[in-house]
Amino acid sequence: MMAQHDRVPRPMLRVVSDGRYATWADVYQDNATWVYRTIYARVGNHADAEDLTAEVFLAALRPLRISATVAEVRAYLRATARTVLAAHWRETLGREITSIDDSALAAPDSEEAISTAPQQVRGLLERLPDNYRRVLQLRFLESRSIKESAAELGISVANAKVLQHRALRLAAQMNEKDER
Amino acid sequence: MNARGLRRYIDDLLRGRRPRPFHPDDFEAAQIRTAIDLRAARLGGDAPSEGFLADLRSRLSAQMNNEAVTPPRMSPTRRQVIVGTSAAAAAAVAGVSADRLLFREHTGESPTTANSGELVPNKGTWRAVASSADVAEGEMHQFEVGPLIGFVRRVDGRAEAISGVCTHQGCRLWFDKPDGSLRCPCHTTSFTPTGQVLTHQLPIAPRPLPRLEVREVDGSIEVFVPTPPSQPS
Repeated sequence: MMAQHDRVPRPMLRVVSDGRYATWADVYQDNATWVYRTIYARVGNHADAEDLTAEVFLAALRPLRISATVAEVRAYLRATARTVLAAHWRETLGREITSIDDSALAAPDSEEAISTAPQQVRGLLERLPDNYRRVLQLRFLESRSIKESAAELGISVANAKVLQHRALRLAAQMNEKDER
Repeated sequence: MNARGLRRYIDDLLRGRRPRPFHPDDFEAAQIRTAIDLRAARLGGDAPSEGFLADLRSRLSAQMNNEAVTPPRMSPTRRQVIVGTSAAAAAAVAGVSADRLLFREHTGESPTTANSGELVPNKGTWRAVASSADVAEGEMHQFEVGPLIGFVRRVDGRAEAISGVCTHQGCRLWFDKPDGSLRCPCHTTSFTPTGQVLTHQLPIAPRPLPRLEVREVDGSIEVFVPTPPSQPS
């Protein structure tokens, strides 16, 4: 299921000659989607992703030298997104939850630079006990309601809530351990 | 501990609503991180909506077209202030990231970027930038070769080279000989001959100038010029 993620079509509208953009509108057109997806992968909801993407482009386009190469523009947009995301976490939760690293070895518009969530989650789910994995799949990946999930799992709604709560706690513990 | 804040945050994520701020502890932050990963792993769930893209395009169009005529707003909203500071912060990293990208894009391994941003490309060629005789002790010799603009000088007999492009917005630096500093014509930033920031008037200090790899062979000074990144496909 998640493996198919790589095949999501990306717009390839490139209006560039000799590796440079002709206008700021081309810069936007060519880069808006990957910038958005990079941010979405780190906030997990569209409302914040839209706000932050708008902030990146409103902040980035004005000082941009249009003579910069495509690669330079992309590095600049990623750097701007990093700054904007860090400010978002400071303002909302008072601490950094996720970040956009600046040691990206891959091009900013490549899948591996945009998001590692699919691989991360696949590895995580594999190691969880069955019922924990199932409830997280239903709730987070398939966006099913708690009621539907409970029915699917053959348990009460109250139990489904507890199960989801415990599953997320265990998953978070395993994630943290991986990082250390 | 803020169990309610966390529950609400997760619930908002699941319902596709904007999550509400609270102050999570370490473990709550870890759970949020995991919840975000889970949501972000949905197939195709991370695509921007067409409506949003079109709306932002028209906002940008308004910004870019009114650039010259719009005076600063009198009472900026909080969001506008944030945009302002982000712009400054973004601008501060723009030059250096573009600089670095040149070397990082195709090297295949992480360069040592600690503070001075020393460049360690592994694909490229040594190119002569001056004859040894041209670079006397204390002289600042400017060169331009391939994608690189820089200065080479001699310190205790050894050649040293740094980037000649401002780390703020990529303007070309000039050497102010009487002052002994590298100056940026764009925002009055100045650097020492070693690349450290000497003076600046920016909200955030720009990064030091990256050092370049340099060697002296057969009477000429050579700088390692990385292969320019081919255009990403």
